Amino acid sequence: METHTNRRPGEIAFNAALFGFSLFMFWQAYQISGFSALSSAGAFPMAMSAIMLIASAVVLFRSLRLASPGGGWSGFRSEVLPPAVLVFSLFILAYSITLKSLGFLLASFLFLLASIWYLERGPIGRTLLLAIASITGVYVIFRLVFQVVLPEGIIPERAILAALGDFFAGSK
Amino acid sequence: MMDALSYLFASWLQPELLALTAVGTAAGIYIGAIPGLSVTMAVSILISFTFGWEVNHALALMNGIFMGGVYGGSRTAILLNIPGAPAAIATALDGYPMARKGEAGNAIGLSTVMSFFGGFVGIIVLAAGAPVVSEFAILFQPRDYMLLAVMGILLVGSLSGESLAKGIFAGALGMLLGTVGLDPMTAEQRFTFGSVELMNGISAVALMIGLFGVSEALLQLHNLHLAAVKQKVDKIIPSFSDLKKYLPLSLQTSAIGVIIGALPGTGGDIAALMAYDHAKRVTKDPEVPFGQGAKEGLVAPESANNAAVGGAYIPMLTLGIPGDAVTAVIIGALFIHGLNPGPLLLIEKPDMFWFTVGNLTLANIFLLIFGLTGIRIFTKIIECPKGVLFPLILLLSVVGAYSINNSLSDVWWMLGFGVLGYFMKLYGYQVGPVVLGIILSRLMDDNWRRAIISEQESLPAFFYGMITSPLSAVLFLAIVLILLSQTPVWKAIKMHASPRLGRG
Amino acid sequence: MLGKLMGAVAALALFVGSASAADYPEQDIQGIIQWGAGGSTDLVMRSVAPHAEKVLGRSIVMINKTGGVGAIATQFVASQPSDGYTLLMSAENPQLYKVMGLSNLDYADFYPVNVLARGVPVLVANNDAPFNTIKELVEYVQANPGKVKMGSTGPGGLPSVVGGMLSTQLDFKVTAVPFDGDGPALTAMQGGAVDFMPAVLGAAAEHVKAGRIKILGVFDLEASPVLPDAKPIVADYPEFKKLLPWGPFFGVFVKRDTPDEIKAKLVEAFKTGAEAPEFQKLLDDRGYVSLNISGDEADAFLKKWQSTTAWVVYDAGIAKKSPEEFGIAKP
Repeated sequence: METHTNRRPGEIAFNAALFGFSLFMFWQAYQISGFSALSSAGAFPMAMSAIMLIASAVVLFRSLRLASPGGGWSGFRSEVLPPAVLVFSLFILAYSITLKSLGFLLASFLFLLASIWYLERGPIGRTLLLAIASITGVYVIFRLVFQVVLPEGIIPERAILAALGDFFAGSK
Repeated sequence: MMDALSYLFASWLQPELLALTAVGTAAGIYIGAIPGLSVTMAVSILISFTFGWEVNHALALMNGIFMGGVYGGSRTAILLNIPGAPAAIATALDGYPMARKGEAGNAIGLSTVMSFFGGFVGIIVLAAGAPVVSEFAILFQPRDYMLLAVMGILLVGSLSGESLAKGIFAGALGMLLGTVGLDPMTAEQRFTFGSVELMNGISAVALMIGLFGVSEALLQLHNLHLAAVKQKVDKIIPSFSDLKKYLPLSLQTSAIGVIIGALPGTGGDIAALMAYDHAKRVTKDPEVPFGQGAKEGLVAPESANNAAVGGAYIPMLTLGIPGDAVTAVIIGALFIHGLNPGPLLLIEKPDMFWFTVGNLTLANIFLLIFGLTGIRIFTKIIECPKGVLFPLILLLSVVGAYSINNSLSDVWWMLGFGVLGYFMKLYGYQVGPVVLGIILSRLMDDNWRRAIISEQESLPAFFYGMITSPLSAVLFLAIVLILLSQTPVWKAIKMHASPRLGRG
Repeated sequence: MLGKLMGAVAALALFVGSASAADYPEQDIQGIIQWGAGGSTDLVMRSVAPHAEKVLGRSIVMINKTGGVGAIATQFVASQPSDGYTLLMSAENPQLYKVMGLSNLDYADFYPVNVLARGVPVLVANNDAPFNTIKELVEYVQANPGKVKMGSTGPGGLPSVVGGMLSTQLDFKVTAVPFDGDGPALTAMQGGAVDFMPAVLGAAAEHVKAGRIKILGVFDLEASPVLPDAKPIVADYPEFKKLLPWGPFFGVFVKRDTPDEIKAKLVEAFKTGAEAPEFQKLLDDRGYVSLNISGDEADAFLKKWQSTTAWVVYDAGIAKKSPEEFGIAKP
């Protein structure tokens, strides 16, 4: 196991955030049922958040004693949030937001197209093909075989499927 | 006796049943491998699908899916660091590091053979000792389940990586996240902040996909243009000497798997984690350290989770009590087919029992065949460019998270945990303990409360019961021994007692 | 250009969505099951649906949407359009959401397509327990208040309601140990973790027949043909007559404001489905009483059930809010 002697950029902030979160959760756990009974709904959450609180305090204290990483903002950007990570995360965010309104098929298509093109910068034709092939695969497995009703959005899938079904049933 | 034999081989000799078992096993492997698709889900869809079939035909398909599905989870765990099912979490811990070193083929080969082996042990115990094991399993009281959870949580010690404090934090966080939602015991809301969506709690599968898969994909974007590791595919079938070397460990962890699988409150996921912990404790000199691609870290969970399949059938076939979520659904299927699964099933319809034993054996053999073929193509997945692979992983993660409960909120949780996991890994926290925590949370919380309610809130009575009940006393002693063996005190005693054996 | 295209697509979607009720059903129907795979609600729904599908001519795609004692599924169906394409396949729980403080919905917001069946509660005990009938149990509990452990499934579940009825009618003080469902609780009882428990007949019957647990009595007006030797509780305690018959039930629902034609078609389909001999056999085997009622008859049943149960759980101190707040009349 590697042990680093230098702090990473943003490490204190992260550890402090975890400490703050533990504190908040401990207070929330206390709100559930206080110290009413050993079997109360809040007893176990309180014990766990107390452990989190102590452990995160130890971690925070130790990280304060490590040498400063240096590098400032540019160090943070290169070590913690490089552009590829940031942009890809934004794509994911946009994908999840539009999943419901655009529907699974359209949103996934746009997401794959944009992110493969951004990360690979390959020929657009191949990207297009990849996107369509993988969405078809996922759709067949999840929607048709496993009957997971993926968000429909603006494409009236059920009506289309029903029409297709009728068509084939009719042609028998 | 002749009758029993003929039922035992029924599915081997009838072409239709043979084919259904094969199809089920093959489908199961893929269902298991795809995160978000679970065996439970597949089997319950099959209930309506096989409504008009003969019961044995339906069972052959379900048995195959169960056997294949438990094994299939290891595929994506090894290749993408996304366990296809919770039972494969422990497999990812050492399987994925192996794949990153170009040994994915070897890892899959080994996990296949060990799954087969574990599955076989499970079936043998089912055939030979089902009534005895189920009577033993029923003896477990809430207090004993709680002690089992404590035993599982000790694994945090070995999953913590560089800092024990960070590991403990992560484990407690997982435990806490497991309590979110409507408390089933009192109907009180815990950490729901008034939201109906949160009443359902946080899905362990969504958390697992996010913490393992998404965070890993994000982290690897740091060196996007590093060429993918070339996979060695010459050594897929494990060598005989390897098998011989890991056989004792596999036997021990299979035994853990059968027992944990047969207990009505625990399943393959907990079995695999406890087996991993066991492997870590008994392996004196791993060739490669645990967490960096130790083969022992693959052998143990894969033997255990497939052994748990046979285990789960034990209380189901003898008492009509499900050993896990999948057997609960299969019991439902038997009802719909007009059978009455219960303690009388074994007496009234012994053919069912022998048919299942024979059929599971068949499915296990198919598992070996299908598992060992096509590994080359699978390992190609990780050789494909990261710019294509990661968007696809994300797509699969989103769909997988959505399918758990047909809800977008699981997708948001999954992504949130992806981001959290990214930062945790960056700052030296391990994500393993979080997943361990959320899996053990209910087992620990519910059973602690049941136990203390039963003693009318009296701690002395609780501890008195722990010492006087033989089962609890043994479990308690085991925990104390494990704890001691991990502390410096123990090492000092050992050094003192036999200086030649003491190491570092 | 893009705007026009989007408009066209939207118009198409609207057109498809608002097709006349006379053609219903023109696409697959979603059935939202409020309990998990393998549970008794899941089981009942998955076995009645194939028969109803035959009448409707479309498949019913069944989805388990669990959580919040079923409140999440109930909320989801309420948020869908009232076009009959989303069915709620559920159990008795929504009738207690209001008093338990879980949701503002109950079956007043839904139309009962079919209330399929009702379960019969029984009292069962560990074989070593020092009582063999309900009367002996009550006497033993009165002699040892708080000492006897009762298996339960959490507030609002069958054991808690039956326990509530016992404690409001008799001097009955026990320690309730909650489990994840009647299956796990029955298992724990065989291991001796609890002494007795109220359970639905179907879940307990096979274990009783095999002699692994013993039955103390039936919590109903009459004995059940499945276990004819068990005496009904009213034989010794006639004061329970006013609360019975009571039991958990299963039903299929649509939103109240669904067009009448669609309601009629669904009612027809599920009525035929529930009459199917295979389904009736399943109900008999599991000890359920077939109801097969819909519309006003079902509404009256639901209302009576809610009034009895809400007041019992309130009087037993399990409910968070008084039924009075929601205008639920006292029985």
